[in-house]
Amino acid sequence: MNALRSWLATTNGRIAAAFLVALLLHLIGTTLIPGYSSPFAIRAILVLAALLAVASVGQTLTVIIGGIDLSIPFVIGFANVVAAQLYGQGWNFVLVCTLVGLLAIVIGGLNGLISRGLNIHPLIVTLGVGMIVQGLVLLWTKGFPSGSAPPAVSAFVSIGGSVGPLPVPWLVPSVAVMTALIVLVLARTPYGRRLYALGSNPGAAPLALIDPLKMWVVTYAASAFFAAVAGVLLLGFTGSAYGDVGQPYLFQTIAAVVVGGAALVGGRGSYLGTIAGVLVLTEINTLLIGLGFKPAAVQAALGLIIVVLVSLYGRERHVSQTI
Amino acid sequence: MNPVIRSLGEFVRGAGFALVLLVVLLAVNLMLNPARFHPAAWGTLIGLAAPLIGAAVASAPVILAGRGGIDISVGPLMGFVNAIVIQALFLQAGISSPLVLVPAALLIGAVVGAANGFMATVLRIQPIVATLGTYLILAGVTLTILPAPVGPAPAWLKAMAGPYSILPLGAIFLLWWLVRRTPYYDQLMAVGSDDRAAYTAGVPVTKVRFIAYVMTGVLAGIAGLMLTALIGSADPNIGPTYTLIAIAAVSLGGVSLAGGKGGLVGAAIGAIAIFLLQSLLTAFNVSTYVLQVAYGAILVAAVVLTALQDRHALRGVSR
Repeated sequence: MNALRSWLATTNGRIAAAFLVALLLHLIGTTLIPGYSSPFAIRAILVLAALLAVASVGQTLTVIIGGIDLSIPFVIGFANVVAAQLYGQGWNFVLVCTLVGLLAIVIGGLNGLISRGLNIHPLIVTLGVGMIVQGLVLLWTKGFPSGSAPPAVSAFVSIGGSVGPLPVPWLVPSVAVMTALIVLVLARTPYGRRLYALGSNPGAAPLALIDPLKMWVVTYAASAFFAAVAGVLLLGFTGSAYGDVGQPYLFQTIAAVVVGGAALVGGRGSYLGTIAGVLVLTEINTLLIGLGFKPAAVQAALGLIIVVLVSLYGRERHVSQTI
Repeated sequence: MNPVIRSLGEFVRGAGFALVLLVVLLAVNLMLNPARFHPAAWGTLIGLAAPLIGAAVASAPVILAGRGGIDISVGPLMGFVNAIVIQALFLQAGISSPLVLVPAALLIGAVVGAANGFMATVLRIQPIVATLGTYLILAGVTLTILPAPVGPAPAWLKAMAGPYSILPLGAIFLLWWLVRRTPYYDQLMAVGSDDRAAYTAGVPVTKVRFIAYVMTGVLAGIAGLMLTALIGSADPNIGPTYTLIAIAAVSLGGVSLAGGKGGLVGAAIGAIAIFLLQSLLTAFNVSTYVLQVAYGAILVAAVVLTALQDRHALRGVSR
């Protein structure tokens, strides 16, 4: 029992526990709901999970550095609407994506610059910046965004899509590759090591010649960039632009990161853990909707399950253990 | 130095920017919209601002307790109190007496606050996650028992919407004034500034933080009653919108999100500043979109200016 406890306290233990929970939820779903493990249902779960995984990249990075990013849903909505609008006006879609990506990087960089440069809690900064971005988008489209996604993007994320013999859309293997790359960057590059160093000890990291301001700007820019990617992918998924499309991702990305074992005080966490958290959340959602719960009840149950899961393996140390 | 003057000085430095903003906004509002801001209408205005002030004040104690302490379930808790008081107690059980409804609201607040406190301090789940769970549970349950807005509210409660909303606000500040006179207040601020140092000095860190969560819950219960008075009905969708604005108001009012700095009065000033900003922008008759941009911009500008001011003050000290 004690060995199990101490194993659960390690990062790898938490990640493995989260993957086990996802698997367990899937087994429960398969027993309770006919067709839960049918190819179509599994494809749908994988696509939804992949979209959430892309949106959660930024939250993972900003949580490891010791911050949080509340602007993710607003940047998702921004990318979603702007991409559709410009493409609808006849722009080349590659150009549209480049522009949206660059703008997102500027927005994110601004988040990092203000938060770290002036030492203001990123919760407030990202919320304020996000609200400005959303307001500007609404102002530009007068509240009625138009336009649609190019067929290529829709095919990329479509649940019915396939990659050669694999019965999943290109999105799923792409997210798998992205996951491998991000894990590699976090574990094996100077950027990744600096990120963990800065997150676990913001005071000591500058002494190791880590520039905190630069790290925050880069990390928040990356966060906004991935949010923008999620926004464009969601455009393909839903087919039409919608400014509030990112709103569910505000709490879901945080929940995914935390269920995956990251600590919101920084320095701990991994993208593999976030993937596990993403799978757990998607399974819970699908399971509850499949059991016939209303959206409000699903939301309540989701809250309960997050708390139960995190109290099982996401507990923090007592203050007497931190001295 | 005289302790009163010193604490006054500390207060002005902490909430300084919000106070300046408040005065400026009040002046501009008075010039642009004298009818709405006529002294005779102040009662109505206080009633309109009361739920936001209540939400901000409720959010403050757990933030003061430090180490990531935050309660994002304040908004949904207000909505939950609103739904229970109107739908379950008034309309279904037929109870309209304030002697039942007010204690019921406070009790709900205390129970939810205690649950949050248990999760955040005893189970030691990160506060934002624990209260996110409560947020989702309360918002979901509220929508389940109250799928659509219903009314009305009891007459006495609706009458509290105008000038009389000063009564619950006054009660909150009296309560806080009393808390400040107890050793608990010093322990709270000590835990918020440096919990490790406080622990080694023998402060019961867990207990102090737990009480802060219960306080936040009770205050959110009062804020829920003020919200009910203002809207005069039950609406499942209004409550949750208060959470983020309340935290913004707290931060604007000089309460550090790192804990241990600021107070409830600062939080209230931040909330009033945000309320005045809303009325000002509404007076310009701009579209809600411009409103949102301006809102976000002023929020960012305010925290940036506060930070610059702090930095300036620090430089003065080190010199």
